[in-house]
Amino acid sequence: MDSKLKRVVDALELRVPDRVPVMDVMEEYSNIYAILGKKPLPLGALFSNPYARKIIDRVANLVNRSGLMNREMDRFSYDRTAASVKMGYDATWVMHVPIWKFSDSRTATDIYGRYYEVVFDKKGNLSTPMYKGGLIKSPDDWKAWDKSDLFKFPERTNKAFKRIQKDFGDKIFVFAGFLFGLFENSWQPLGFERFAVAIRAEKQFLKRVIKFYEDHFCMMLEAWADADVPGAIYTDDQAFRSGTMISPKIHKELYTESFQRITETAHKLGMKIVVHSCGNVYPLLEWFAECGFDGVHALEPTAGIELGKVKEMVGDRLCIVGNIDITHILVDASRDEVFEAVKQSIKAAGEGGGYILAPTNSHEDMSIDRLRWMLEAVEEYGYYPLKIQSL
Amino acid sequence: MGDYTEKIEKAVSDLELESISGLIGEALEGGVDPLEILRGMSAGMTKVGELFERGEYFLADLVLAGEVMKEGVKVLEPHLKPESMGAKGTVVICTVKGDIHDIGKNLVGTMLSSAGFKVIDLGVDVHEDRIVDAVREHDARGIGLSALLTSMVDSIGDVVKALERAELRDKVKIAIGGACTTEELARRMRVDALGREAVEAVKIFESFMAS
Repeated sequence: MDSKLKRVVDALELRVPDRVPVMDVMEEYSNIYAILGKKPLPLGALFSNPYARKIIDRVANLVNRSGLMNREMDRFSYDRTAASVKMGYDATWVMHVPIWKFSDSRTATDIYGRYYEVVFDKKGNLSTPMYKGGLIKSPDDWKAWDKSDLFKFPERTNKAFKRIQKDFGDKIFVFAGFLFGLFENSWQPLGFERFAVAIRAEKQFLKRVIKFYEDHFCMMLEAWADADVPGAIYTDDQAFRSGTMISPKIHKELYTESFQRITETAHKLGMKIVVHSCGNVYPLLEWFAECGFDGVHALEPTAGIELGKVKEMVGDRLCIVGNIDITHILVDASRDEVFEAVKQSIKAAGEGGGYILAPTNSHEDMSIDRLRWMLEAVEEYGYYPLKIQSL
Repeated sequence: MGDYTEKIEKAVSDLELESISGLIGEALEGGVDPLEILRGMSAGMTKVGELFERGEYFLADLVLAGEVMKEGVKVLEPHLKPESMGAKGTVVICTVKGDIHDIGKNLVGTMLSSAGFKVIDLGVDVHEDRIVDAVREHDARGIGLSALLTSMVDSIGDVVKALERAELRDKVKIAIGGACTTEELARRMRVDALGREAVEAVKIFESFMAS
């Protein structure tokens, strides 16, 4: 096994690796193509051009049927893995999300029942569409929702990851991912107001939706395993800055069985599985461990998360992944500040292994220089045995 | 009479979406002063805020409480004099330019309306010029800006600058909230307050109105 891959597996299995591994969470067009010295397809320019927009408004269905966006997503996932390898990361979280369909040049829907506004980053690139609301307002809407594209998704993702693994599988540990997890898929297609009402009045309906997406997630795991992807990140934001969005008791009641089946399936297929959630996840950490996840990612300092506390709570059961701030440290901090942040994270979570250093998330204003400084700082402070006293 | 207002307060604080409309209808038929009913609903919402602060209620419960309030107000509003609502002052709220997340903003709106503010909700992805116009038109003394996305924080600064250009900055106070907002950002953007939770909004805007 390549030393980078071994380093990541050691950390995931809570052993002491040779050095704290670093995972890439980058997923924005502009940085990826700047690193690769390539130009992305000028989709942003196309969608901003008033004449092109008029045409797209008329032929949005043709654009969807042409498969142009899906092919661009395949290329994007491949390129972002290439960018991670070029930067020198040990692991990368590769999102492959061919889920959107344009309604016109300004709005899109997804295969789950959300609608979005089409948005661009500051450099004019087409960016991840912005969620506006849900299209499924009742159990009847859910029943009637066309789910055929959901069942095509595993095959498509399998092909994309086969290519990624063939070219990069020996160079970097790939965590496959897609949108969305069971929690997000049970509330966003409804809208949060409607979901809050359903928790009180329609739990059986929610349970049916959750079970459906549990089965779907397991199909995705099988597709990744068939492509020899070694890891998965279960992406599901379940908290906001000061706590969970619903009570931990209801989380457990609605999602425990599904989460357990998902982690068991991943492990049977020989994969590692890390749960990602933004926000203050303290109330969920023990439960994540009980559900069988190998690790937990994000752990945002801006949500009040302290790595030392996480290590103390679940460090003997979960690999800790993340915690490098993306609001300041990886945007506009000085080199010294980046080094200090890396040092403090390693000091808090690195002792005894079981820590993968990573940004908490990604956005277009993150600086490639600061990501490089982060990698340099791990080279300086991350080798075991850690010189904790001197850090 | 008091019995009804207590029941209504409890229905709101217990998030009884299914019974609130009927209960308010009964109270109105029984001759209870609509303002008393409104006070009962408002007291229920205050209790919801307290339960949230104590960690017994969660975001979904706050949102559900908002739905309970909406259902109640539908029945009650035709019986209220327009000036009974919004007596504490006028506040303009919105999600900033470039950002369309609205859960936090909607919650703040519910909290403020329930507490007696007149809330002008401009929606999401709102340009600073619209905020300036709304402040002028409604003579608002407070602005609540919501921002979830880190990449959109500059929009907060744009609002401050637009208010300065319109010579309104001294007449209005600004609070920000949302996932990407911090004390440091509030200082940098020269706004007057940071709300970490929607339930803090009432105290913040009451202090704005008192100053």
